[in-house]
Amino acid sequence: MNLKKYRKKSPWILHYNTGSCNGCDVEILACLAPKYDLERFGVLNRGNPKQSDILLVTGPVTKRARERLIRLYMEMPEPKVVVAVGACACTGGVFRGMYNVENGVDKFIPVDVYVPGCAARPENIIDGVVRALEILEEKKKDLQLTRKCVGDIEYVLGKQLNRRKIVAEGIRRCYEDRRD
Amino acid sequence: MSKELSVVLTLLSPFIGGLVYGFERIVRARMQNRQGPPILQPFYDFFKLMDKRSIMIHSFHAFMGIMYLIGTWFSLYVLLSGGDILIAIFFHVLSLAFLVIGGFSVRSPYSVVGAMRELIHMLAYEPVFVLAAVGLYLVTGTFQVSELLKTDTVPILTLPLVFIAFLLSLPAVLKKSPFDIAEAHQEIIGGPEIEYSGKFYEAVYTAKWIEYVYAFFFVFLFAGGNYFLGAVLVVLSFFIVNLIDNATARVNFRQMVSFHWYILIPLVVVNLMLLALWRA
Ligand code: SF4
Repeated sequence: MNLKKYRKKSPWILHYNTGSCNGCDVEILACLAPKYDLERFGVLNRGNPKQSDILLVTGPVTKRARERLIRLYMEMPEPKVVVAVGACACTGGVFRGMYNVENGVDKFIPVDVYVPGCAARPENIIDGVVRALEILEEKKKDLQLTRKCVGDIEYVLGKQLNRRKIVAEGIRRCYEDRRD
Repeated sequence: MSKELSVVLTLLSPFIGGLVYGFERIVRARMQNRQGPPILQPFYDFFKLMDKRSIMIHSFHAFMGIMYLIGTWFSLYVLLSGGDILIAIFFHVLSLAFLVIGGFSVRSPYSVVGAMRELIHMLAYEPVFVLAAVGLYLVTGTFQVSELLKTDTVPILTLPLVFIAFLLSLPAVLKKSPFDIAEAHQEIIGGPEIEYSGKFYEAVYTAKWIEYVYAFFFVFLFAGGNYFLGAVLVVLSFFIVNLIDNATARVNFRQMVSFHWYILIPLVVVNLMLLALWRA
């Protein structure tokens, strides 16, 4: 039985705010509210990384938020996709270059879909989620690593990979090049 | 009910429960002026969860999730095979105990808080369940479901207050607002089920569908041998529970326990006493 087609039919969402101005978060909630009603496609906002398939990230990733971002990403079971919602999450947006932000989500985790706009419109977010679902259907079930861990993590931690160790290593690595 | 029919019904109960849950999601969406998911949505979720890569916290935790499913399923089998109501209730308590132990066995604070709240849930509604069973016994003279379904008496006519109390405790059993404190998706994100993922969450998810069948089968028993009235009661209580779920906000655990202990249990006891006086 081919189970892949069911991925598209019941995407559960985890929404994480990495220090955005809340503009995009409100738009995401508007998608789930009666007017756009994403639940008619089976989308549920679970708020729980272990049970979700799509990570909706908003905000420019402040230095406080990056640890949680890595942790949440690694706690999601594969297959999973990441949608960066809003200009901040894509590039840093209005916060770009500030001393406390990291200019976008894709510095830490691989992003599959970028949804532009400062505040991204609900229609755009829905389009982004639909695009993400197409990607989700093709995804493999291999372990997906955060940006700074790709490549040499098996060399450092040995063949027996363990999520907790990967998270710890990933968090250690984001402090390696600190300037503060 | 014959043995074969009860086994078939028990095996089919996840499908029935899934359909009920899917229908409930549509009803809830329509009550909120939304369109809602298709009725087969719970099964899509089920197949998707089957496809996820599994993450285990530790094997005991995963085992407790599966035991929750088996325990609930078995308690439903006891009911459907015409067994003793009290035994079904105790197996249901046991299955929840598995969930609670699983919740306590991980380090996540949400899981531990949720497990504690689950215990408070049991403290609140189980007495109402047991007293309702006692009421059914007083009216029909038996605890056996198979006998209950054959009697000519219609228990709800002599136990109206017990039925009302039972109906008002259903939200606590099914974890619906105002009594969804153990699950509380906005504050503790599912409580004891938070750490389950993939196939193990699937077990917990299915167990919840079976709980629907379990709870509404109890409602059915209140009509005794009158199956048509039973079906009407089940449909009616389904809509009332959903209406309450949509119209109320979550109360805290003290309010929940005191509502059950100071209002519902006295209601049941008054009904039972009046019944005894009327008979004497
Ligand atoms: S993209 Fe604009 S609206 Fe959205 S979080 Fe960033 S600053 Fe706020």
